[in-house]
Amino acid sequence: MDPTTLINERVTVVAVYQKQGSHEMLCQPVKMRYKNEDISFTELGLRHPTSAGRRMIHVFDMSDGVNDYRLEFDAEGLTWTLVSMLEGHHAQP
Amino acid sequence: MLNLNSEDPQIMFLDLNSAFATTEQQARPSLRGKPMGVTNRISKHCCVIAASYEAKALGIKVGMRLDEARQLAPDFVILETDPPKYHFVYQQLTRIMKDYSPKVRMKSIDEGVIDFHGTLGTVHKRPLEDIAIEIKQRMRQEVGSWMRLNIGIAPNQFLAKTAASLHKPDGLDRIDHRNLREVYSQLKLTDLNGIASHFEARLNSAGIFTPLQFLDASSDTLRRFVFHSVIGDDWHRRLRGYETDDVETKLGIVGRQWVLANPSADDSYILPCFQYLCETTGKKLRYRGVDARGIIVWARFQTGDGWQQRRMFKTTFYTDSQIYARALYLLNKRPKHMKLQTMGITCYQLTPSARSQISLLEHVNKEEELTTAVDEINERYGTFKIYHANALAGTKTVKQKIPFGGTQYFELLLKQA
Repeated sequence: MDPTTLINERVTVVAVYQKQGSHEMLCQPVKMRYKNEDISFTELGLRHPTSAGRRMIHVFDMSDGVNDYRLEFDAEGLTWTLVSMLEGHHAQP
Repeated sequence: MLNLNSEDPQIMFLDLNSAFATTEQQARPSLRGKPMGVTNRISKHCCVIAASYEAKALGIKVGMRLDEARQLAPDFVILETDPPKYHFVYQQLTRIMKDYSPKVRMKSIDEGVIDFHGTLGTVHKRPLEDIAIEIKQRMRQEVGSWMRLNIGIAPNQFLAKTAASLHKPDGLDRIDHRNLREVYSQLKLTDLNGIASHFEARLNSAGIFTPLQFLDASSDTLRRFVFHSVIGDDWHRRLRGYETDDVETKLGIVGRQWVLANPSADDSYILPCFQYLCETTGKKLRYRGVDARGIIVWARFQTGDGWQQRRMFKTTFYTDSQIYARALYLLNKRPKHMKLQTMGITCYQLTPSARSQISLLEHVNKEEELTTAVDEINERYGTFKIYHANALAGTKTVKQKIPFGGTQYFELLLKQA
């Protein structure tokens, strides 16, 4: 019933760090390798911090123009995790 | 009769309408422009707690059940709430608001008030409408392009909130003494914030059927024949644009309630959940830095009948086990053959914490030290990493809800998220 697909897998991510720009744009994933496929992100939906106990987690909601992905960067373990995805066809009228 | 307040408006009310749904659409571009909503826990009979504008346009309302919503829009998408996401947007909105005045007050997680008294002409030398447009732009640039704000400008909070509700979404309206009567002439009594069907019936019984008649009613009429208290005087002033709502409310009660998915009279099902309610109440008390002396345990049965027991104790209490022991004593007085539909616990007679006071009784000190240690562990590793074994089933059954009314427990809720 929940259209979100839980994945919870560690993934390889290419991120860019910009010297200037808004707070939201300082660090941002641009590409991810998942199941041997490269997925390029076209839009940052929202970035927000959260925590697991005292561990800081940065949540990036990304889109490749079709599907939406929730990526989490663990600032202590320095790991990227693809937590879930929402396939675009779920949102088609 | 009091004249209309002719002061230049200096109150701005900001409302992030459909806040949770709009935030989810911001985070997930594939949902933008689509009928969607959020709920606390997805199930067949769950309720929509926030709906997107597209869903509202199809007749889907907050509080509607998912199956009813799907009848109106078969492609309606529902997601579970994500408190840290909403808290981030709330923080960003608050940060932006505080750039314009030191007098900022958040009324709930999705709305707040900026009081510009003392800043216009000095810090700000431009119309409030310009500032409102800038705030809207900043929300789009600094949070996300899908974020929309309704903004109202007026001499008091009541009229500013009314102005913010005139043209949703993304509205910007001003109400002052020049257009007050015109705005009222287009509204119903229940469009006024604070007037629901009960007060509407009272006003009707006094011959008041429209906001304009409400405005023209004397203070004496409202006090003696409608509200039967000084609340009538407050309404007389509020409707005319004078501030009556800028008051700090004192913390009076702390508690928790729970609606049972399946009504039950079975203690083996109820008590773990009850213990969990007591533990979350204890966390709230300690989070607010208060102790309680009184406790109320209440229930509503499947039959629709209500029940409650209350008691004041000689000493204050704040630990989970102190609360549970006292509350259980009261709960056991309920008619046990009756199936519970809703149950709750409320602590009252709150006083600032006296936790630094060491007791003469060793077992009291031990219990308090244990509570402190458990709180510290939960603070470090996440709330409800350690809890009483009896509450185990309760932690899985009772779900935490998003607080719509206030923001005082938002930080605490996030630790549990």
